[in-house]
Amino acid sequence: MGSTLSNIDGLRALFSSDCIAERGSQMVVSPRTTEELAAVARYANTNRLAIEIAGAGTKRGWGNPVRAQIVLKTTGLAGVRHHSWQDLTATVGAGTAWATMQRALAVHNQQVALDPLWPETATVGGIVATNDSGALRLRYGSLRDLIIGMTIVLADGTIAKSGGKVVKNVAGYDLHKLMTGAFGTLGVIAEVTFRLHPISHHVASYTVSASEVARLKPLMHAVGASHLLAEGLQLRGTSHGFDLDIQLGAHPDSKQGEVLRHMAEREGLEVESTSNEVWQAREALFAQPDRLILKATTLPTEVPDFALKVAERGGEFVVQSLGIMYAAFPSDELSLKLAEEFRHHIGRQGGTTFVLARPLSAPDAETWAITIEGDLPEAHGLMREIKRRFDPNRTLNPGRFIGGI
Amino acid sequence: MGQPSGLITEANQLQTYECDGLTNFRTVPDAVLLPRNTEEVQAIVRICAKHGIPFVARGSGTGLSGGALPAKGGIVISFARMNRILEIDIPNQRVVVEPGVINAHVTDAVAPYGYFYAPDPSSQSVCSIGGNVAENAGGAHCLKYGFTTTHVLGLDVVLPSGELVTFGSAVPDAPGYDLTGIFVGSEGTLGVATKIVLRIVKRPETVQVLLAAFDTIHAAAQAVSDIIAAGMLPAALEMMDRLSAMASEAAVHPNYPVCEALLLVELDGPEAEVAAQMLEATALCRQNGAWEVRVAQTADARALIWKGRKAAFAAVGRISPNYIVQDGVIPRTALPEVLEDVGRLAAEVRLRVANVFHAGDGNLHPLVLYDRAVPGQEAIALDLSERILHLCVDHGGSITGEHGVGKEKQQAMGYMFSEPDLDTMQLVRQAFDPQNIANPDKLFPRPRLCGEKTGPYTPHPLETAGIAEFF
Repeated sequence: MGSTLSNIDGLRALFSSDCIAERGSQMVVSPRTTEELAAVARYANTNRLAIEIAGAGTKRGWGNPVRAQIVLKTTGLAGVRHHSWQDLTATVGAGTAWATMQRALAVHNQQVALDPLWPETATVGGIVATNDSGALRLRYGSLRDLIIGMTIVLADGTIAKSGGKVVKNVAGYDLHKLMTGAFGTLGVIAEVTFRLHPISHHVASYTVSASEVARLKPLMHAVGASHLLAEGLQLRGTSHGFDLDIQLGAHPDSKQGEVLRHMAEREGLEVESTSNEVWQAREALFAQPDRLILKATTLPTEVPDFALKVAERGGEFVVQSLGIMYAAFPSDELSLKLAEEFRHHIGRQGGTTFVLARPLSAPDAETWAITIEGDLPEAHGLMREIKRRFDPNRTLNPGRFIGGI
Repeated sequence: MGQPSGLITEANQLQTYECDGLTNFRTVPDAVLLPRNTEEVQAIVRICAKHGIPFVARGSGTGLSGGALPAKGGIVISFARMNRILEIDIPNQRVVVEPGVINAHVTDAVAPYGYFYAPDPSSQSVCSIGGNVAENAGGAHCLKYGFTTTHVLGLDVVLPSGELVTFGSAVPDAPGYDLTGIFVGSEGTLGVATKIVLRIVKRPETVQVLLAAFDTIHAAAQAVSDIIAAGMLPAALEMMDRLSAMASEAAVHPNYPVCEALLLVELDGPEAEVAAQMLEATALCRQNGAWEVRVAQTADARALIWKGRKAAFAAVGRISPNYIVQDGVIPRTALPEVLEDVGRLAAEVRLRVANVFHAGDGNLHPLVLYDRAVPGQEAIALDLSERILHLCVDHGGSITGEHGVGKEKQQAMGYMFSEPDLDTMQLVRQAFDPQNIANPDKLFPRPRLCGEKTGPYTPHPLETAGIAEFF
């Protein structure tokens, strides 16, 4: 232990005192440049120290807990480096808060068309590493469709780039896709280049309520098969039953609100104009203390039945983009058993379930491994091998990812 | 194999497989295998793994970068017999296919339900989904609809070890690394797909095409930027310079105005939306000096405008004995500057360059025209072509927007990416294929023994036969 401490102390020599601090038995380092970030990684890797990567720390309860001697804060790597608005691209430091970035892009009426959790605090790097996305993915896709380039730092301090600053580019492997959703286990994200979209001028939200989800099913299907320019779509469980929220982004002349009304009337349902606040529903799930959050993905046609099943078991839930569900349950053994049951149920239909987040205080906080060994993804062996090639000493976020990667 | 007819070893038959659409690189494979199912693919790859035999998968062989070029002493796995559409699931907007399925056949299969498969490389009537997956194929409409990678949800892959694994699934966000994302566009270097889950898209309510004539490329480029800045996301934005527009006019008579820069803008979506945007786009073209603006109102008029654009590439063959096609990408805003530089470089060596490009996403297809019969001219043309690619990289762009690196642009990879970048990509390669038998000696630069030379364009037999167009 003594030698480890002195090892950590060696880090001090590399950084000015204002970007390194002791916190309990850990050393917290906040590099200001990609080169400094690389120096931290290299030092840790050489001295066999583990690094936990953190942005604003909003999602530290996602994935397995990490035991590390060094906490690497990316918040010093902040700022919009480049906004080429006529090319609809922007390059941003990983430590930039999402909303800060969006405000800078909005000067030219542009955005990264994604609605992640906690945008005021959550950083670009953390959102990308956890592959967070909200209701907007129905129209714009998820991060894998919006990221066109990335700078990463490997465990050994190698600084590598993939992709570029152009939307259309097939040169080399898309390493940025591998990094998206990898929970920092393959490399530290230093900089991200996004393709941008214009901010929609004509956005309007509507809600259709029903006491039984079966009544919403035909409308959900009809909306999916229609020419409506739906930006977002979500199904929520409420105290009175189920709400279907639809955000339309078409020109007012298209009168798509009217079209939607007619579609609903045909199913004997009523459409109400609603505020944009309904799209905060996903955040509200996470806001309650001591909750276990499941993420489940299903085929669009399976959404209503599965939603009913979750509601019957007392889960609060939001399903976005016709098939990505977040459900909150009390953090206890019973809920873990439920998760297992759900996983078997929708696994048969090609869907997936896992515990996305547990309270940091929860005992035995192994999140991914509601699966037994044989239930890991088929390609898990390959995933392990990729990890071994990128980070043979398990320096970066060791154990955080699925199956203890 | 147990299927004698699934094995080709006869020299004259093997020759069919010695190259793809890039015909100036040729290597005759030792054997060609035509499996009928995943198990047979697995059996073949297991034998390759056991004996260290290099293999390359081949769809229709229409690639333009030598991606399906066999390795010396290697075999070709042809997917010609694995061409079934396995499942059409309209309510969930998914189609499951074998890799040999022709791109356009996917759209044909779902068109009756009002859907289409969005990636539309111009060879779509002959190219295969498997090849599209390997190259991450694009097309004229990817500005709005994205690339192959946007539309692949999951795949079954035979790894270079022979192991069969599933990447992703029928639903997005499967837990684990995004192996689907890394596999699509890996040009056959990470394994062989045997089953692919595709997303299909609802056909838009209406489509309109605008054609505008400008006196300068600069003015047309500014019109493009203004259209984007106005918040429109056209389904396609295409530009042709005088030389390529003239060549098209001569070839297929689309009735193009004679001008320095011809711009095509395709808008699609709800009718009222498209109508409003078309008015705005027309005004923006006029503001930037367009002296003729036509909006194609009918499907026939639209088809004629597109016919000229799609024929541009082959049409250039009429005005020049030989030409090289490139596929560089630049940030859209660099367009006037880069084209000026290309013009200057061409003038310096007294060659002509015709420019046809996807203006919306900055994907250039400069065609370097030359005459092989003139001693030394081919070498000059190859050098010019390489310098154009470097120009793209210097402006923050890419060496390839949709054709892939393959054999052709191996060395240019070293110009675009640093050693650490390439070493990091190699980590992926080694994790998938430690033996280096999956389409080896492609994509990554070779040790710099000889300067890279990209090849002159030689028409593919399919093109000569009028079956396919490439651009």
